[in-house]
Amino acid sequence: MVAVRKSVEETKVALHGVVREMYDRIIKGDPPTMTLPVRTKNNIGFDPKLGVYKYGKKQTIRDATSLGSAKQLLRALHVIEFIEGMINDGKSSTLREMYYISEGWGLGKFQSQNESNNLAEDLEIVTKCLREDFKLRPEEDGARMIGNITLQERNRRGQWMRINARDDVGDSGYGVPYNVEKEKIEFLEHDVKFIMAIETGGMFDRLVENGFDEDFDCALLHLKGQPARSTRRIMKRMSEEWDLPVVVFLDGDPWSFRIFASIAYGAIKTAHISEYLATPSSTYLGITADDILAYDLPSDDLSKKDIEALNAELSDPRFADGWWQEQINMMLEIGKKAEQQSLAKYGLDFVTETYLPEKLSELGLN
Amino acid sequence: MSIAEKMAANQKQVAISEFFEKNKHFLGFDTLTRALITAVKEAVDNALDACEEARILPDIIVQITKIDNKKDILQLDVEDNGPGIPRTSIEKVFGQLLFGSRFHAIRQSRGQQGIGITGVVMYSQLTTGDPTHVESKIATEATAVAVDIGLDTRKNKAVKSNQDRVDWGDKVHGLRIRTTMKAKYQKGRQSVWQYLRMTSIVNPHADIIFIDPDGQKHHWPRVTEKLPGRVEAIKPHPNGIELGQLQRLCGESSEARMTTFLRRNFSGVSGRAAKELCEVAELEEKLKPKSLKAEQIRALLEAFQGERTLRGKPVKLLNPPTSCLSPIEELLIKKGLSKTIDSKFVTTMTRAPNVTQGNPFQIEVGLIFGEGMAADKPVEILRFANRVPLMYQQGGCLLTKAIEGVDWRQYGLDQAGGRGVPKGPAAILVHLASTNVQFTSEAKEALSDNEMVMEEGRKAMLEMGRSLRKHLEKKKKMGKTREKFELINDIIPAIAEKSASLLQLPVPDLAASITKIMSAVIAETTTTWNKETKQTDVHIILYNYTSRARSYTILVTWPEKQGGKMIGNELGGRKEATGVWAWKLETLQPGVQTVITYSLDNIEKGDWNETDVFYRGSQEVIGATKMDEKLLEEIRRQEEAFIEQENLSKEIVTDSIEEEQSAPVQEEVVTHDEPPVETQDSPEVDSGETKQTTLFGGDY
Repeated sequence: MVAVRKSVEETKVALHGVVREMYDRIIKGDPPTMTLPVRTKNNIGFDPKLGVYKYGKKQTIRDATSLGSAKQLLRALHVIEFIEGMINDGKSSTLREMYYISEGWGLGKFQSQNESNNLAEDLEIVTKCLREDFKLRPEEDGARMIGNITLQERNRRGQWMRINARDDVGDSGYGVPYNVEKEKIEFLEHDVKFIMAIETGGMFDRLVENGFDEDFDCALLHLKGQPARSTRRIMKRMSEEWDLPVVVFLDGDPWSFRIFASIAYGAIKTAHISEYLATPSSTYLGITADDILAYDLPSDDLSKKDIEALNAELSDPRFADGWWQEQINMMLEIGKKAEQQSLAKYGLDFVTETYLPEKLSELGLN
Repeated sequence: MSIAEKMAANQKQVAISEFFEKNKHFLGFDTLTRALITAVKEAVDNALDACEEARILPDIIVQITKIDNKKDILQLDVEDNGPGIPRTSIEKVFGQLLFGSRFHAIRQSRGQQGIGITGVVMYSQLTTGDPTHVESKIATEATAVAVDIGLDTRKNKAVKSNQDRVDWGDKVHGLRIRTTMKAKYQKGRQSVWQYLRMTSIVNPHADIIFIDPDGQKHHWPRVTEKLPGRVEAIKPHPNGIELGQLQRLCGESSEARMTTFLRRNFSGVSGRAAKELCEVAELEEKLKPKSLKAEQIRALLEAFQGERTLRGKPVKLLNPPTSCLSPIEELLIKKGLSKTIDSKFVTTMTRAPNVTQGNPFQIEVGLIFGEGMAADKPVEILRFANRVPLMYQQGGCLLTKAIEGVDWRQYGLDQAGGRGVPKGPAAILVHLASTNVQFTSEAKEALSDNEMVMEEGRKAMLEMGRSLRKHLEKKKKMGKTREKFELINDIIPAIAEKSASLLQLPVPDLAASITKIMSAVIAETTTTWNKETKQTDVHIILYNYTSRARSYTILVTWPEKQGGKMIGNELGGRKEATGVWAWKLETLQPGVQTVITYSLDNIEKGDWNETDVFYRGSQEVIGATKMDEKLLEEIRRQEEAFIEQENLSKEIVTDSIEEEQSAPVQEEVVTHDEPPVETQDSPEVDSGETKQTTLFGGDY
C-alpha cells in the first residue's frame, strides 16, 4: 500500500475502524482486540515496486485478556477521542502535549512519553494515516541545511517566504520545519550536484567553515544523529523532485549503519511509511570499515553492545547485500570503530581537501 | 523476709573498683554517647531483673535532662516499680563492683558480671564529682529510703550521705535513681532511644516510657501480662567447667565420698556416671573431695571432658536441664516486633534448647517485612543476648554471622553475591538465651564464635526465610488476582463505554466477554483489624467467571490454637482440624458471587494478619490453594500425637518425682517414640524437629 495524505473524513473513518473492532468483539462476547503488524526486523521485507522495506504479513493481536494490553486499548480509545476533538476544533498538539493531556484520562493515562509515541505510531499503522493527519507533531526539530537551494515556506501568517539556503541564512543554515509537505514547503530552484547528509554537528560546521558546499556544488544537511521524519522526508522530496543523488557521511560504527538503513531503505519503526520517508537512491559515503584501515584513523575498540548490534545487522534483511555483509564482517574482524572527526588527525582541511574528494571521485560525483 | 531481703542476702562481693577506674573503656564508658547508653542500660537491666525475680510486671520510666549544654552535663532519672532494695543493702548494690547474686549462679540472666550500676555511680562521680541519689521503697516499710551514694574506689566501699526518709504516697515499692554525668545524647541506631526500643521488643511484659532531652515522650506499652518464665539455677555441667571452678568446688565440699560429691554438685551425672568418672580418673570412690591433690583434680577434669576414656569412650553424661532458660517465645516476639515496627508480615521461630560445652542455650529469631522500611538499605539487625540488646560491634558478632551465612536471595531479599547482610524492607531479630553467653570482649557487645550456636541460628534463619518466601509468593499471586479484578471491573467497562460513545452506539453488555477473559473462579480474601469492634474481620469473596455452575469446599486457617473465637459466621461450615475451618458450597452459578464472612474475637491487633484459603474441587480457584489432603492428615496426626504426649508427660512427671536425681523430663518424653540412641547429644537435636514447625506458613 502506498501512504497518501488522507482527508479529514477519511482519517475519522479510519480511526473509527479501530474502535469498531473493539466494540464488535464485545458485542460478540469476546475480549476486545486491536490488530496490528509485528514491528520487528523479522517482519520487514523489500517491496520491489516501492524500492523500500515495508512491514510483512505477520500480525499481532493485542487483546484485553491481560491488564497491560487492556490498558493499551483503552489508551488508544482516549487518543482517538483526543484526535477527533483536534480535527473538529482545527487544533494540533505535540506528542509531548498529548502525553501531559493524558494525565486527565484516569485509567487510560500514559506512564511514559515513549508509550504515547508508540501508540501514535500504532494508530498510524492500523489506520494507514500519517500523524500529520492526526494533528500530532513531533517534539524533535528537523535538520539544518546549507547550500544553493531556493525554496518557499509558508509562514505563520500564511504568506509564502522565499528563502535561499545559502544566501539568506546564517552559519547555522536553514532550519527544516517539522512539516515539509507541499502545503508548507515548495522547492523553487537549485544549483547543486548532490546532497550530502552529515551525522554530527561538528563535521557539518567544519564543512560549512571550509566552504565545501560552494567548492563542490552541493547542499549540506545536518542529520542530528538518527534523523527525524521531516529530515528524511525533505531529503526524499529533494532527491525525487530534483533527481539529485544523496550521499550520506556518518561515523564508522554499527549505529551509523542503522541510520543509513533508515534513510535508504526505511526504518523498522516506521516501515509502514517507508515509501514516504526513505530515499532508495542514497549512497553510504563513509566512514567505512575500509576507511579505518586505509586512512589509519584513530579508533576505539568495539563494545559488547556494538558487537551485538553488528551481529543483529548481519541478519537484518536491509543489510543482506554483499557490500554491507562485507563491511559489517570487516568491522567485526578488526574490532574497531571510528568517528567522522577522527579525520582531523591529518589536519582541519584533510576532510575537505583529501578524504571527501577521494570518496566522491569513487562515486563519480567529483 | 521480703523478696528484696532474700535477694540481697544472696549477694557476694568482689573488690575490683580500682580495676574499673583504669579500665572504664572496656565497660562501656569510653565515649560520651556510649556512657549514657551504658548508664541507662545498667539501670534498666537491673530494674527488669529485679521485677522478674520478684514476679512484678515492670513499669519503667527513663528521663534524660540537659543540665549544662556547654560542658555536656546530663541528668539521668530511672524509676521502676520493682521490689526496691532494703536500706542496709543499698550501699552494697550501688557501691561495690561485681556485687550481684547472679554472678555465682548458673542460669540465664541479664547482668552476667555484676559490673552494673556501681559503674554508673563511679562514672558520675569521676565526671561531675556528684554522688548518685537513690530512693528505694520496699513493700514492708511505710516510707522510702533516700540516700546519696558516692564511692571510694580504692577501698571498694560506698560513701553514704544525706540519708533520709521520704513519703512516696501510693507507690508500694520501687526504686528511683538520679545521677548527673558528663555525657551526650544522640539519636539514631546507637542511642538510648534504640536501646529502649529494642529492650521493649524482647520484654513485651514491660511498660517503658522515655522522655528525651527535648521533652518528647516515647511510650512502648506492655503487650502481654505474661511474665518471663521463672528461671531455675542449675548445677554446673562437667562439660562446661574450668579447672579453677572445680578446685573451688572440691575445696568447699563437705561430702565424704567422691561419688556423692559428683552426683550432688553437678548436673547430668547419674550414679553410674559418677562411678565411671572415678574409675576413669583413677580416684577411689570413697575419697574425700576436700583431700584431692592438684593432679587428681586435673585427672577428674580430664575425665569430665572426655580426655580420659572408659574402654575408648568418654563417660556418658546426661545433658543439663534446660529449664534454666527463659526464651521470649514466638508469639511474644511477634507482638514485640509488631508494636515497634508497623508492618504486615512477621514470622518468628524459637528453636528447641540445645547444649554446647555443658551450657544450655536456645536461639530465637524473628523477621518483620513490609512497607515503612527502606527497600534499598541493609535490613535492620536486632541482636539480643539474654534479653539484653547488643548495639555495638555488629559486624564481629556471631548472631550477625548467622544472618550473613544464609543466601537470602532465594527467600526474596537482595544480597550481593548471596553473602553478607541482606538488603530489603525488613528487620531481623536474633536472641540467644544461654546460661553462659560468650562475648568477644569485656564490652559485651558481640558474641564470640561457637559452631553449635551458629548452626542453630542458621537453621532458624532458613526456616524464617522459607516462610518469608511463602508470604512473598502469596503476595505476588494476590497481586495477579488484583490485576484481573482491575481488568474486569475497571478497564473493560471503560473500553466498552468509550468505544460506544465514539461510535455513538449503546454500551454493550460485558458479561460474556468478562467470562471469556477470566474463565476461572476467583477468590478474594481480606483480613483486616476492625478498630471499633476490636475484632479481625475476614471476607472471602468467590466469583464464578466460568460458563458452568461449580461446587467447592472452601477451607481457611484461623487462630484457634491462639485462643481466637470465630463469630458472625453465617454460612456455618464445620471444623476440619484444629485451626482449619471448612464450608461446602454446593452451587456457585456462573457470573454469581458468594461471600463468606466472619470475625475473629479474643485476639489482638497484629495477631492475625493473613488468612490462608484452600479449596477442594476440580476447577482451579485463583486466589486460593488446592487443599493438600496429606497436609491435613499431618495436622490431624500432630493433634493426636500432641494429646498423647500431654498424657505421657504427666505420667513421666509423676515417675520422676520418685527418682533421687531428677532426670531431664523432655529427654524421656522425646526418646519415647524413638529407639533409644546411644548418644551424648540431646534427643531434641537428633530429631531435627523444633516441635513448633507450622504447616501453614510460619506466622503461627
